[in-house]
Amino acid sequence: MKRKLMEILACPIDKHHPLELHVFEEKDEIVEGLIVCPKCLRWYPIRDEIPEMLPDELRKDTEDLPFLKKWRDKAPKKIVTEGKPFSLKA
Amino acid sequence: MKEEKVRKIVRKGYGKIAKAEKSSCCCGCGSMENISEQVGYSKEELNSVPEDANLNLGCGNPVALASLKEGEIVIDLGSGGGLDCFLAAKKVGNKGKVIGVDMTSEMLDKARANARRGKYANVEFRLGEIENLPVADNTADVIISNCVINLSPNKPRVFAEAFRVLKPNGRLMISDMVLLKEIPQAIMRNVAAYIGCVAGAEKKNTYLNLIKQAGFQNVQVIEETQLPYEALVSDETAQQIMKELKVTKAKAAELFGSAISLKVSAVKPKN
Repeated sequence: MKRKLMEILACPIDKHHPLELHVFEEKDEIVEGLIVCPKCLRWYPIRDEIPEMLPDELRKDTEDLPFLKKWRDKAPKKIVTEGKPFSLKA
Repeated sequence: MKEEKVRKIVRKGYGKIAKAEKSSCCCGCGSMENISEQVGYSKEELNSVPEDANLNLGCGNPVALASLKEGEIVIDLGSGGGLDCFLAAKKVGNKGKVIGVDMTSEMLDKARANARRGKYANVEFRLGEIENLPVADNTADVIISNCVINLSPNKPRVFAEAFRVLKPNGRLMISDMVLLKEIPQAIMRNVAAYIGCVAGAEKKNTYLNLIKQAGFQNVQVIEETQLPYEALVSDETAQQIMKELKVTKAKAAELFGSAISLKVSAVKPKN
């Protein structure tokens, strides 16, 4: 994902814009990172350069929690413990 | 069928299609280039994009009718292998931007690989649902979609979302499959038929009304084309479906014959 895309990204749930971007790995494009909706605290992974902006019912904790675990030191604390739809217990 | 279930099945079905070596069947089957030409892509257009981008799942070429201008922001609902995104990218140029949204990660992988191969700098793909677009209000100049909305179990929501993300005066330029007459319940209920587009399709008038109800104006039918259904019914996948449902070839031809590809344009009013 290119950084410029943030200009038009909104939360698919509450349509909030702008969203926060946390970059974990970047080459030509952002390879891994986190997009956070500051309003509803939902977080969306950027994996393999693709922002995954799916609504809750299409997400799986078994796929998303390992991602959060992997980046728990770099992700905002609030998201790690209180993020939606999944979070890691403190 | 419950909305959730429909969504999951569609995701799964298209995920499989994306992974398959050979293109499978939605609104067109048989020889890929051949069918793509029949639904409105020119040979030049097909030659200008990465080979894999054309999975042959669409029912018409919205780009040809989208009258895209340089610098415009375009969103493709259900971008699949990325064919329309790549064609759109050429038209909007480096100052413009094309964003493909698809809910199937396997499709996105394919599209992204194609973007790399074709060196498209102004195309981005993201995993998302067309009923819940991850796009800010009033940002797009044009929304395109090619034979995708018929798969949605909540079409009013799709049009409402398209309306929301378009700028005032923004255009909806879509091509989709609609029906001229009802399809029997037995087929409607069948999941495999859903993936093949037909069962999810609305009647034409209902479809146009849904666009109007979302707030769009100047809702215009630009073109109606009969789908190449002879190719459809002789396809392996289609024959499997027909066999499961005990549908004769003649009956299938009649059913597919009532499905047409509709090209529609509409505008989001200024106020």
